Amino acid sequence: MKRSIALLNGQSRVLLVLIIVQIVCAFFFVYDVARDIESLDDLAHLIPESLATICLVLGIAVEIRVLLGLLRHQQHLMQGLDVASGALAELMASYFTQWNLTAAEQDVAGFAIKGYSIAEIAGLRGSAEATIKAQLNAIYRKSGTQGRAQLVSVLVEDLLRAPLVTSDKPKQRTVPVH
Amino acid sequence: MSRIFVWDIFVRLFHWSLVGLFTANAFFTNPEGSRHRYVGYAIAALLLARLAWGFVGNRHARFRDFPPSTRGAIGQLREMVAGERCAHAGHSPLGALMIYNLIVTVAAIAATGYMQTTIMFFGYDWVEELHGALVTWAEISVVVHVIAVVAESRRLRVNLSKAMIDGYKTLPDKSSAT
Repeated sequence: MKRSIALLNGQSRVLLVLIIVQIVCAFFFVYDVARDIESLDDLAHLIPESLATICLVLGIAVEIRVLLGLLRHQQHLMQGLDVASGALAELMASYFTQWNLTAAEQDVAGFAIKGYSIAEIAGLRGSAEATIKAQLNAIYRKSGTQGRAQLVSVLVEDLLRAPLVTSDKPKQRTVPVH
Repeated sequence: MSRIFVWDIFVRLFHWSLVGLFTANAFFTNPEGSRHRYVGYAIAALLLARLAWGFVGNRHARFRDFPPSTRGAIGQLREMVAGERCAHAGHSPLGALMIYNLIVTVAAIAATGYMQTTIMFFGYDWVEELHGALVTWAEISVVVHVIAVVAESRRLRVNLSKAMIDGYKTLPDKSSAT
């Protein structure tokens, strides 16, 4: 999996350079078209040039979309790698920042995922149960989940998506781990 | 939270002098007049001083601190897509690309401006047109630069523009030291 991340990284770098170069080119074409429109004397030149420029700009837009797709895919793989190497805590932390959880909410969410009850979390954090309930509600709202089971399943989904044994290692443990 | 010193007095003076002088020449001085020429010389001198400072200045002012890097730029884009926050003390990789773009563009503007004062290139249309096109490119770059500073300040929750005034960035604790 590390290899495919490196490959994606190489592809996105090439694409980024291409996009930058084409933006510079597109600028000069757009600039030229704008100047030609001001004088408006040679339509046979202006129309094809405008069309070519529009195509170039559209092409750049498509490339940017492809680049964003590559980056998302890369991010996805890296998350998968995190899971595979057992960095569940990091995965949780990255989701927590993504959901904009406060420090207290991150604590509570961590306990909730580990399976503590509301009373237990209140005891561990030294706050009232009503506070914990309010914080849990905020966590569910921010994460777009509808309860503890769904919150856990967000993480489990990532765990299942990643292979348990990475292909870089020799295939010795072929016994499925069901 | 940690408050660290990033931009030394020269970098800040350079930045705001360039802002003032570029604005003056782009919008206010008469391109044919001698004031336009003197402001242009001042910009060229500023730029040369900045280039020298890039080798002998303080840590974050040196070019070695922000080499142009597609690897870093892709990393930063990936963070944006993933919604991670990883503030940089000095220039971020994408920020560095913009700095090089601006330095090269302003240098080219100064060069094409100077060429129009020489006997060799005086009266050539292409020099004048290139000068104008480069100024437009610089203006677009400045707009993108300002939008990016605002957007990155919001994403990272670090006031980047304030750092260019008093020299200090207030970074959250979990951020890279580069």
